[in-house]
Amino acid sequence: MKRIFTVIFLLILVGIFLKVFVKQDIPQKISDKIVRHDLQEINYPPDEKNVTINGIDYLQSQAPVGNFGGELIISTIGEGPKTFNPCNTKDATSSSMAGLLYDGLVTTNPRTGKVMPLLAKEFDINGNDYIIHLRHGIKWTDGNPITADDVMYTYNEIVFKGLGNPSTMDAMKVEGKLPELVKLDDYTVKFTTPKPFAPFLRQLSYPIVPKHYFKPYSDKGESVFNAFLSPNTPPKEIVSSGAFQLKEYVAAQRVVFVRNPNYYKINLKDEKLPYLNKLVYMIVGDTNNEILKFEAKEIDVLSLRGSNVARYKIREPESDYVIYNLGPDTGTLFLVINLNNRKNKDGKPYVNPMKHKWFANRDFRAAIDWAVDRKNMVQNIASGVAEPLFTAESLNSIYLNKYIKGHPCDLDVARKSLEKAGFINKDGKLYDADGNRVEFDLYTNAGNLEREALGVMVKQDLENLGMKVNFKPVEFNSLVNKLTNTHDWDMAIMGLTGSPLEPHDGKNVWTSSGSLHMFNQRPAGYNIDDRLDWEKELDEIFSEGALKLTFEERKPLYDRYQTIIYNQKPIIYLYSPTRITAIRKKFKNVFPTSLSGLIYNLDEIYIDEES
Amino acid sequence: MELLRYIAKRFLQVIPLLIIVSLISFFIIRLSPIDPLAELRLNPSISQETLDKEMKRLNLDKPIYVQYFSWAKSFIKGNLGYTSAGEKVSTKLKERIPNTLLLTTIVIFMTWAVGIPLGILAAIKKETALDRLLTVVSSIGMAIPSFFFAILMLIFAVKTGWFPVGGLTSYNFNEMGLLGKIADISKHLVLPVIVLFTISLSGLQRQMRANMLEVLDSDYVKFARAKGLSEGKVIFKHALRNAINPMITLLGFEFAGLLSGAALTEYVFQYPGLGRLILEAVMKSDINLVMASLMMGTIMLIAGNLIADILLMITDPRLRGRS
Repeated sequence: MKRIFTVIFLLILVGIFLKVFVKQDIPQKISDKIVRHDLQEINYPPDEKNVTINGIDYLQSQAPVGNFGGELIISTIGEGPKTFNPCNTKDATSSSMAGLLYDGLVTTNPRTGKVMPLLAKEFDINGNDYIIHLRHGIKWTDGNPITADDVMYTYNEIVFKGLGNPSTMDAMKVEGKLPELVKLDDYTVKFTTPKPFAPFLRQLSYPIVPKHYFKPYSDKGESVFNAFLSPNTPPKEIVSSGAFQLKEYVAAQRVVFVRNPNYYKINLKDEKLPYLNKLVYMIVGDTNNEILKFEAKEIDVLSLRGSNVARYKIREPESDYVIYNLGPDTGTLFLVINLNNRKNKDGKPYVNPMKHKWFANRDFRAAIDWAVDRKNMVQNIASGVAEPLFTAESLNSIYLNKYIKGHPCDLDVARKSLEKAGFINKDGKLYDADGNRVEFDLYTNAGNLEREALGVMVKQDLENLGMKVNFKPVEFNSLVNKLTNTHDWDMAIMGLTGSPLEPHDGKNVWTSSGSLHMFNQRPAGYNIDDRLDWEKELDEIFSEGALKLTFEERKPLYDRYQTIIYNQKPIIYLYSPTRITAIRKKFKNVFPTSLSGLIYNLDEIYIDEES
Repeated sequence: MELLRYIAKRFLQVIPLLIIVSLISFFIIRLSPIDPLAELRLNPSISQETLDKEMKRLNLDKPIYVQYFSWAKSFIKGNLGYTSAGEKVSTKLKERIPNTLLLTTIVIFMTWAVGIPLGILAAIKKETALDRLLTVVSSIGMAIPSFFFAILMLIFAVKTGWFPVGGLTSYNFNEMGLLGKIADISKHLVLPVIVLFTISLSGLQRQMRANMLEVLDSDYVKFARAKGLSEGKVIFKHALRNAINPMITLLGFEFAGLLSGAALTEYVFQYPGLGRLILEAVMKSDINLVMASLMMGTIMLIAGNLIADILLMITDPRLRGRS
């Protein structure tokens, strides 16, 4: 008897102990209203201006004047930067940190997406000539002037030689030819492209590096250059140009930047920016830890996902943070259908010819498009923190075709479309005109919970039409191998990140010879012209779009490409996640935009402790 | 002399072992479907030429046995190669090893300093209230999974604000004085040490208790007691020396775990040790880094066993003649 009491007592004790940890603070029912709130009204400052004081060409921020000092602590997920060499970055963390250290000639207007000068004072475009005027009197962190020689060096000896990460070289090539670069004087250079080439101007945002610091390493060849500026480089040694300079790197813990006293941007009182003394990136392994760190006030900014949004939104009024809705991001989730009718080396078709007959039928694809319930996916998978998507361009793209409105989920339309294509529904099972049961595989990468959930929902939606869907989550690498190499798949759920500024970046996906033309991939070296009519049109649009130089000329072309994809549906877009971010209230001059995010203007942000 | 010959023999045995381990692990990693370039392949702005260049740089264009031999050749020369991001493997390891060692040595030192006496105490006071209490506590310690315990501890840190949430140093660590630095590191170490300590203490304490009980039950201890020796002398001179032998073997394994034993806890606490580094390397099939850590683990295990065997030969006269 005594024993039983002891056991019960112990159990109660353990229960109370555990109860301390488990406190329900997520609302049981997440109403739409809590999650979805409109983009806040933000009073953006006017664009920055060039101001010359004592012969030095400064860039003047037009944002309200703030207080100097303090620090902003943010986080980066993963293992931290792999290099601070801006010419050799291959991952997002490294390139954003190296991007802090080195500015490019031009940058993107955070609101309009237009190209505007940064390290360059101004630029003139004259046909194929791009004349770049540099700022007089601005300096690297070690006091040396930034001149045309640095620009010449950066392009001639790094970019055009493909040193480090060659993607900029690839992007600058027009029909295999690189632009020419001439030095006109110490502060002026001229680029000449072989043909009019629209995406070129934006490529000039490539970071300019100091010749006197980089040249000794780039001269020693590729392997020395790739190891140059590794994270363990003594910070004092690094010569840079950006608003912040490196102070300290501690492996797997943090990267600390301090303000660059030589920076060329000033505020309205002509005081040198940035306001913040320090910028700290905490290196955290996963999102859960990031959330804990925000709760413990160890970091100041947190991007919120899924059900967390509702939780933070409810607590916002009595908290020390504000939440901003930045609108849909550049990520897209989609269902891609394999239209491949080619045979592999052994003469075996990549896709079963019976299935290919279904997939090649536009009405079959349309039926799928009408049957998937995007609204339901947004509500149940993304907890409402997403927008249904119907276009190939992401929703914040400046080239988005606004005439494509999409449609609701409608099973009747889907069934009619299948009937039209000759499919027959018998006892809830779908058969094609030859009497074959419609059954296929649907792949996605295992471990990605969002895509796995999407797979289950797509399967259910399509089974309403009588199709039999074998949903198979496979390892990420095997999926990539299937998509790019072996082509033996039927349908897949994937995601890609697009560029909201330059649709030409998608040419590898949309042109018939592209390396990511997943839905109808041709093997390398394939030279039979078996393009579908709409594939031909896409090829023309992408080659023509790159040659047109103004936004007004290009927009109708890229509108047309989105219409083609929407009508032909080789890829059925599902939704785009919405970015919602929390930042501590004490930070001022925060002007979030849908294109650039929350804290793109690190040099203008300041701390006002009183609010 | 005999000891030296024994050590030399053991060293010779290590070589084939290392070759076999490296062969198996290299081929398993390379034959797994993980493609180190998968992410690049899915990036719309990467061209085929860039992909080919990366293939060449990472040696992926050569057959697998050529890859193995080129790795083995540089490994023998003491060159661990470069990670797939182009950093030196040796510097990457050097950054992390001291952090992991700091954590694991503190934990091992504490568990042995507390676990052994507790085990002895529990054996002497067998079936008293104290023994029962220790049994309950160590059962809890053994039953609770380390990652779960670690997460509970993290939530505790967030709710109370008494401890930092993971990591090893605060962001303003470099501006602190020496005392401040020590205090900062200690504060960060408390929670991971508690987790690892509780979990390994339980096992050690139970093991020691069992050994001790077995010895206390043996004839020679009964004989010593019958001779009228004092209880202290019986326990420390006769029983303990015999009960400690299996623990020395255990110590050898603890040595092997110095670098790898805390990986899970390290991951949950975002501790900047080897655990996180190697986990990411495996996920990305970063072959040089994975191989370096596997070889290190193998060498540590062999060395740990060797140390244990030598210590055993010193403590146990029965073993000396045999080898």
